[in-house]
Amino acid sequence: MIACMRARRQLSAYMDGNLEARPARRVALHLDACPACGARWRSLRSAVAMLAEAPRLECRDLISTRVGDRLEVETRSAGLALILRPTWKARPLIFPSLIPAAAVLVVVLGLAFVLDRDHDPLPAVVTRGAESWGPTAASGTESNPLFLSAEVSAPRVRTAAPINDLLAALGEESLFVETVVARDGSVSTVTLLGGDSLQAGPLLEALRHERFEPGRRHGRPVAVSLYRLISRTDVHAPVT
Amino acid sequence: MAAGEFALRSAEALAGGASLEHGLVEQCRRGDAQAFARLVALHEGMVFNLAARLLGDPEEARDAAQEVFLQVYRTLGRFEGRSTLKTWIYRIVVNHCRNRQRWWRRRRKDRSCPIDALTPADEARLAEHGPRAEGPEERLERRERARAVQSALLQLSFEHRAVLLLREVEGLSCEEIAGTLSIAEGTVKSRLSRARDALRGSLAGRQELQ
Repeated sequence: MIACMRARRQLSAYMDGNLEARPARRVALHLDACPACGARWRSLRSAVAMLAEAPRLECRDLISTRVGDRLEVETRSAGLALILRPTWKARPLIFPSLIPAAAVLVVVLGLAFVLDRDHDPLPAVVTRGAESWGPTAASGTESNPLFLSAEVSAPRVRTAAPINDLLAALGEESLFVETVVARDGSVSTVTLLGGDSLQAGPLLEALRHERFEPGRRHGRPVAVSLYRLISRTDVHAPVT
Repeated sequence: MAAGEFALRSAEALAGGASLEHGLVEQCRRGDAQAFARLVALHEGMVFNLAARLLGDPEEARDAAQEVFLQVYRTLGRFEGRSTLKTWIYRIVVNHCRNRQRWWRRRRKDRSCPIDALTPADEARLAEHGPRAEGPEERLERRERARAVQSALLQLSFEHRAVLLLREVEGLSCEEIAGTLSIAEGTVKSRLSRARDALRGSLAGRQELQ
């Protein structure tokens, strides 16, 4: 006789008739002889029978109707065809939803109209595209000067501005000035970046008359931006 | 009628059913809405019952059944006819219910309501399907048994539940279940054995408690 464990492992196959004749006979003999396995077999058959005989659950609604409605909504032609089709062709579920939608649209449009009349119109916003800025000037020109670097040599002063008297008038004030030295060595622009603009006026005018040996890049003259901090320094003879 | 004649007639009926099914599928593929409605009506009971048993919730099962048929409609073009339409639909039901249950678990909404699931309408329907001469006590007992079975089912893992339902309730062979679930036939048999044993244990434990 086979062992209980082995017989129990084969119960499911035995139930389905999947065991060959000899193993099936051995299981049957064991079930007859072993009360515990016999009880287990009976409870297994009872449980499976309870499941097989359980009443089929049925849906309260017709699923086919729900599926049909969903499919019609999904496959319905959109746009004007939806609005212009005959009334009798419309499904009842779409019309009730169109009415509140139309009401909301009318209210929103009405409110927009009323609010628009009550207030002055906002000034028109003029937008300009990037093309209106004009093309970017080539680097190294007066409109797009270069900064000092390893490749760009510094312009050297040929004719300095007579600024000593002007510095005296400046007192303790310091000025931070940007000077663009053009490709021909003249001063293209002078811009006061820091300091008192009222006091700096004559000094800036003087700086515009400076002349330089232009800065160069790869041997060619280029426009260069110079940044200078200008301040007065009093030098006294050492006391002996 | 001789046994041979009966077998022959059954085979003819099967062949007729297959050709009817093929015709219905072809009509559905051509966009015949009435043919698809017929297809849904033919299978909705089976789909709902399986989904309800797998999910343990009639409302969820109704939504699942609807989604299953929408998926059938959308993917019918890919049905190659290598299995029966019914087996193919079973596969969609099981996959859909498995995904739905995973979705629940991710949101910690896993629930089973085999007892609450039976509304008075369900119970009335169960009573209609019972034996005519059934008294109130027998009816109550049958109802309790149905609840116990569903409760025991929901204690099994989803995979065991699916195998057990396809075999014992839907009557599929192990080979058909293997095709439906895309697993080996040996796996079906071992899962079936474990699932039956677990169901037995659960129901036996319930009876001992009572």
